[in-house]
Amino acid sequence: MSTGSLITMIVILGLVWGGALYFMNVAFSSERKKAQTK
Amino acid sequence: MSDKDAFMTRLGFVTAAMGQAIGTGNIWRFPRVATANGGGPFMVAYVIAVFVWAVPLLMAEMSLGMHTRKGSVGAFRDFMGKKYTWMGGWHAFVCLALGAYYSVTMGWAIKYFVLSITTLRPGVDTELVWNSFISSPWQGIFYHAISVAIAAVVVFRGVNKGIELASKLMIPTLFVLLIIAMIRALTLPGATGGLNYLFNPDFSKLLNGRVWLEAFTQAAWSTGAGWGFMTAYAAYSREKEDIACNAFIVGLSDTSAALLAGMTVIPTIYALAPENLYEAIGAGNTGLTFIWLARLLPTMPAGTLVSALFFLAMTFAAVTSLYAMYEVGIKSYFIDAGWSRRKAASVVVALCFLGGLPSAINVEFLNNQDQVWGVGLLVSGLFVAIAMMKYGVEKVRKEIINPVSELYVGKWWNWCILCFPAMFTIVCGWWTYQQFTWYPATWWNPFETYSPGTMFLQWALVIVIFMLFNNTLAKAIINNDEVVKGEVMGESIKGGARS
Repeated sequence: MSTGSLITMIVILGLVWGGALYFMNVAFSSERKKAQTK
Repeated sequence: MSDKDAFMTRLGFVTAAMGQAIGTGNIWRFPRVATANGGGPFMVAYVIAVFVWAVPLLMAEMSLGMHTRKGSVGAFRDFMGKKYTWMGGWHAFVCLALGAYYSVTMGWAIKYFVLSITTLRPGVDTELVWNSFISSPWQGIFYHAISVAIAAVVVFRGVNKGIELASKLMIPTLFVLLIIAMIRALTLPGATGGLNYLFNPDFSKLLNGRVWLEAFTQAAWSTGAGWGFMTAYAAYSREKEDIACNAFIVGLSDTSAALLAGMTVIPTIYALAPENLYEAIGAGNTGLTFIWLARLLPTMPAGTLVSALFFLAMTFAAVTSLYAMYEVGIKSYFIDAGWSRRKAASVVVALCFLGGLPSAINVEFLNNQDQVWGVGLLVSGLFVAIAMMKYGVEKVRKEIINPVSELYVGKWWNWCILCFPAMFTIVCGWWTYQQFTWYPATWWNPFETYSPGTMFLQWALVIVIFMLFNNTLAKAIINNDEVVKGEVMGESIKGGARS
């Protein structure tokens, strides 16, 4: 696998998978907080 | 008040929303289109398309559903005014038209799941297997019926015990199956060479307009933005369900699933038949999946298992989208008009089964419907953007999106919606132009599978019918103040009681 492809893959996967996990974390940590305050 | 018609948890809402987005297109179209359009440049254009087209539109759709607590028909009526109800009629109809033939393609995935266990072995002529299957009307109808029955069970059980439960089970399983298949593919000798094609860093191709158009079209189709799913699901959501964060989760998780599929399909072909890579991706969605992958997957170590897991993943991806399509019709046309779920689901399931029969019998009819209503979805997205503009994009952002969202949505959202008609004109115009080039002499002929003539005629028929019955449709949908209020607003619709 070429270096260029590897870097492109890391950037794309980082953005997409990282982004998805980040937003899920925001969503579900907020849900946990709501549940604790109830 | 029954809890059947509302999402009770955020996990349920989010997985259902992810399920509507993740479909067969992620598995059989994304890897093929990405590789054919340069790999890396396509990925960049695709991610941009997700952020400027899909996510803003998903937010807009959720705003429609959450603000009005109605499916497409009632949502357009209450958001824009009674004279625009026909737009909601179109919105839900396109979704049901897709649902009618989508069950046929899900049936193909089920058939190949069965075949991968029983028949698909190294050396089997998969082209012959596919051709004999596709030319057998009874097999098409049988697997179409099975798909409809599976989705019917889910929608009959309602939102909480059907859609929410099924999505909570199937979406994590789907990701696990895709991850297993990807790991198996990437551990094949030489497989990483396939990633060179998928993530090819030749960014000079970003200057090619076709790469952008393919990326925007794929993003529009794949994420389900503008289809009506999120309007219906948001209508069933809890009172203050987050809009912005959920829209990003849907857009990015759909892309994540597509990347997993890409990192399975392309490396598999590259490792097992590198000389046939471009022939395989040029074979179309069905050729790639049911001829090439069906041939190559069994030849790898543990190939029968991987093949079965792959087609099972495809089946799960299809069913979570199929019951969402049914639900759009159930909610928009019937439950909002006061029908019981059982009665509404019976009518929609029966109509979709009957509507899918021609596609199950004749694959050319399916291709025609896929083209007509696939492009029609872009029109649905335009209608959502117009609804936002009519209501006031700034007003929607300030009064509907931001008060319930954990993330602050800035004015970038306004710009994305305001620019949507221009983006639509370019993308839809390009598709239509392509169709003209396929049939330079007979583009007007409504009996050509992919001609602009067949597309515009079918669109015009549906639009004219909904415009003629605009007032009837507007009156049929119960007003919110006529509905008995429940603790969760989505639940109240089930009461359907007129005052």
